[in-house]
Amino acid sequence: MGLSRRELLRTSGLGALALGCNRDDKPSSAAPRFTGQSPERGHLLRSAALLDAPIDAHIRAGVVIVGGGAAGFSAAWRLQKLGLDDFIVLELEPEIGGTARSGVLPRSPHPMGAHYLPAPPRECSELLELLTDLDLLVGYEHDGTPEYRSTAICAAPEERHFHAGTWHPGLYPSDGQTPAQEQQWERFWDQLRELDRVRDHDGELLFRLPVRRSSARLRGLDQLSMAAWLDEHGFDSWRLRWYVDYACRDDYGCTLAQTSAFAGLHHFLARGLEDTREDPLLTWPGGNGELIASLRARVDLGARLKTDHIVYAIDPERGQLRVRDLASERSISIEAQAILWAAPRFLLRHVLPRDRDPLSADALTYAPWLVANLELREPPGGVGATLAWDNVPIIENPAARNLGYVVATHQEGRDRAIEGGAVITYYQPLVADDPAGLAQHRAHLLGSDARGLSEQVLGALEHMHPGIRRHLSALHVHRWGHAMIRPVPGHLFGGALELARAPIGCVRACATDVGGLPLFEEAFYAAIDAADWALDRIGRA
Amino acid sequence: MTEPVDAPVAAPSPSTRLLLFCVLVVATCGLVYELITATMASYLLGDSVTQFSLVIGVYLSAMGLGSWLSRFVEHRLVNRFVHVQLIIAVVGGFSAPALFLGFSVLDDIRPVLFAILIIIGTLVGLEIPLLMRLMPGKQQLKDLVARVLAFDYIGALLASIAFPLVLLPWLGLVRTSLLFGSLNAAVALWSARAFVDQLVRPRLVTAQALIVLLGTLSCLIVGGEIETFGERQLYESPVIFSQKTRYQRLTITRWSDDVRLYIDGNLQFSSADEHRYHESLVHPAFAAREQLASGPARRVLVLGGGDGLAVRELLRYPGVDRVDLVDLDPEMTRLFRETPALTELNADSLADPRVVVHNADAMRWLEQQRGGGGGGGGEAGLAPWDIVVIDLPDPNNLSLGKLYTRAFYRLVRAVLAPDGVAVVQSTSPYLSPRAFWCIVATLDAADMHPLPYHAHVPSFGDWGFTLAARSPLRPPPGLAFELPQPEALRFLSPELVPTLFAFPADQRPREVEINRLDTQMLVNYYDQDLHSFGPLTRRAGS
Repeated sequence: MGLSRRELLRTSGLGALALGCNRDDKPSSAAPRFTGQSPERGHLLRSAALLDAPIDAHIRAGVVIVGGGAAGFSAAWRLQKLGLDDFIVLELEPEIGGTARSGVLPRSPHPMGAHYLPAPPRECSELLELLTDLDLLVGYEHDGTPEYRSTAICAAPEERHFHAGTWHPGLYPSDGQTPAQEQQWERFWDQLRELDRVRDHDGELLFRLPVRRSSARLRGLDQLSMAAWLDEHGFDSWRLRWYVDYACRDDYGCTLAQTSAFAGLHHFLARGLEDTREDPLLTWPGGNGELIASLRARVDLGARLKTDHIVYAIDPERGQLRVRDLASERSISIEAQAILWAAPRFLLRHVLPRDRDPLSADALTYAPWLVANLELREPPGGVGATLAWDNVPIIENPAARNLGYVVATHQEGRDRAIEGGAVITYYQPLVADDPAGLAQHRAHLLGSDARGLSEQVLGALEHMHPGIRRHLSALHVHRWGHAMIRPVPGHLFGGALELARAPIGCVRACATDVGGLPLFEEAFYAAIDAADWALDRIGRA
Repeated sequence: MTEPVDAPVAAPSPSTRLLLFCVLVVATCGLVYELITATMASYLLGDSVTQFSLVIGVYLSAMGLGSWLSRFVEHRLVNRFVHVQLIIAVVGGFSAPALFLGFSVLDDIRPVLFAILIIIGTLVGLEIPLLMRLMPGKQQLKDLVARVLAFDYIGALLASIAFPLVLLPWLGLVRTSLLFGSLNAAVALWSARAFVDQLVRPRLVTAQALIVLLGTLSCLIVGGEIETFGERQLYESPVIFSQKTRYQRLTITRWSDDVRLYIDGNLQFSSADEHRYHESLVHPAFAAREQLASGPARRVLVLGGGDGLAVRELLRYPGVDRVDLVDLDPEMTRLFRETPALTELNADSLADPRVVVHNADAMRWLEQQRGGGGGGGGEAGLAPWDIVVIDLPDPNNLSLGKLYTRAFYRLVRAVLAPDGVAVVQSTSPYLSPRAFWCIVATLDAADMHPLPYHAHVPSFGDWGFTLAARSPLRPPPGLAFELPQPEALRFLSPELVPTLFAFPADQRPREVEINRLDTQMLVNYYDQDLHSFGPLTRRAGS
């Protein structure tokens, strides 16, 4: 534990002194900057300037996939798998990935957003097929257990939490709990066990992926908030509530009170309970961006992938898209038999003819996130449990909570790990009770400069690692205005999602958000269903 | 300098006292260097009686030479004395580090050792007569000789008591020699100041003394052997080589003929009984393979085992025409390919044309062999192998624990020929029973049909291994038929082999969870088991 002691020293007198000097004298090398998705590009849709540009070229395609993220590439994979090659993928950004995008710092690649995928349960056969195609699932044991590529299995220790100045293993703050709290914790899991892998009379799982395929039996829970569900069952232990609140924030960008109870339980139950399930978490230094990259390599789009292309108008009846190539500044008209909108659903209304979108503008809400990548000259230490993949602070004040950080360099082999230093990814969903609050957060993200936001990040990290600034060699800030669809009470089964998924002429939305939960699995299933629909359309046409 | 004539013996002047203290220090330093050299000689060359006798004889005669030479020193007495001190400070102070370094780069350390001995002996022989002549004024010869020699011998006594009881155990050789080098330099500096009126070019001499003092002191404080203290407590025998590589600290100790290798403080082998370990590791796998395969084993993979000792055993089989050895640390394999004392141990196995060394992380390397997303450069597509020998350090941290996981053994299975056999060094079933049975259970979970066995290796204790294959194995009835000269083995015999597979009642299988990559139970088991044994455990550490 030499490192921790050093860390302690750093945090006291001398360390603080040196820190003070550093802060004043050397702003240079670690000057924070923005990378990743640019809010400005998306906002081009708001201006009318694009519409005035003359069309420079006309092309045709069987299927046009709008969006080069998890959904877009899943749709492309499915189309190709079913024998259709006549499709193109349009991506607004210069890089693919969407909210699963990867970035690179000199020390290591890192995620900018989504960064892991739990190994899918058996019923997700299509997803297992994808993982086999991507050479991530390398085989099955004689008892049917899937065998995953060892480099992608999230290695122990997976989690630790920071509480009362010390790091503890795992995520539940059990240290110092009262017998009553312990009993609640046990009872919570007993409750979940009663629901685990349970099927209704028709054989449908009560909780499954994608969420829309869950049995109808418990859908009523969607009307309730997770906080209300906990209240109803007499769970008032702050420890348990912190733990479930963390899960909601991590998966959905929502607090306990903002999360539908169905969604909250779905988080624990959709893949089978952790304590009975052997399947690992799959992760990569670059996060899910590496998954998307291998999907891209597998589908091998070549020139059919067009980055820097913004779709600014769609005629859903004639199957016509108007696209601007931002790199060459040319406007293109594309005629397609089917259009798969694998971009955020809320953008669709901006490119459709006025009043053509049946979905009201505020039907879906999205959580903004602040994510930052920090390159450190020394890996973070701390007193207590050793550095884990996911490192989470317990913060009492709900308004001040963040999710801590994930270590991008965690998966390295012994040959790389020796290089010292680390890249860590800081995650903070910006939670709010209503759209006005969310808009305020977005305004804050847009209105702040990189230094201001980096101070927010560093302040949160210094709570765990007071000396962290001294090891900082780079800091990249990623602003996500609409990172996650929010499963607020009533969202999953209130009808809006059906409307959001329903085809509009020859356009069908299929990104993560229309699945209802901000998960790779939702993007994947929305996309393959939409791809099947597109093939159907082409067959009929 | 006024000294009361009526009390010549009882009350020496303050400066005489200081000079006598100087005699004490100088004498202590002299004997310490002699002891350091003698200790190093017996550490490095073995046979301590011979080495100590030789060193004492040569040193004393060199001192005699120095005393005789002192008559030729006539002028600039103080300058000579200060310079003699400074040379002793440098040669004596750096004697131990120089000898350690020399041993790792030279074929024969003796010329260096005796050169150092003669230089120090001669100069120490010179300095006492010089000191006597520096003593102030009109002392009678009888008092002078009595005082100086008395302090000289007291110094020797101090050194001979402090060296084995305090200096060697607490500071180690390197820091002891640097400490006494600093003392010599301090005496030089002090005498330059005390006799400044008799000194020619006092500033230059003072500066020289200061530079030497700072040099020895800074080496003492920040020098590369800061870990000597810890190592001296850890290793029972003298350290003859210690290097921090990119990945680990490699330490080799030698006591007479017993050469030992430590990785990060954990014993890897002792030359006294490594044949027991390596014969038990390698030969049962070949014998067991004859149950599954008809032809001889041709291709062998060794994971870890950068010392080349397992390879030495493998190469006994004439059928083996290719050995791939994957060890993380290029320094480790280089050391065991190039250092004569070590190539003698492994019979130059790493230089054998059949052996190909790959320096890589074993897990990544295996992923690459399986094909697909392993990443990294290097040769791929070498699988399958007929025999896989897994000879890795004990799982005492998470990064080593990865190489004992189900995911790792699945990779091993993937590169193992259908009729191949793997063998895993599996920690001690006695000292760390849960770790041992966890490895067995993990192999089972990876569909590798484990067959555990054990052998007594005195420097480790009762040591465990596990055979594993794609189909179930029975304990082999003897050695492999392909082994040309079974009588050449020093430990295993055909009769002994089947007995290795029996476990006594106190080593029955334990209830354990398997070692998964995402839980890594093994590291916990290993730590807890070893803690319950406390100081008994040799391979424990960090």
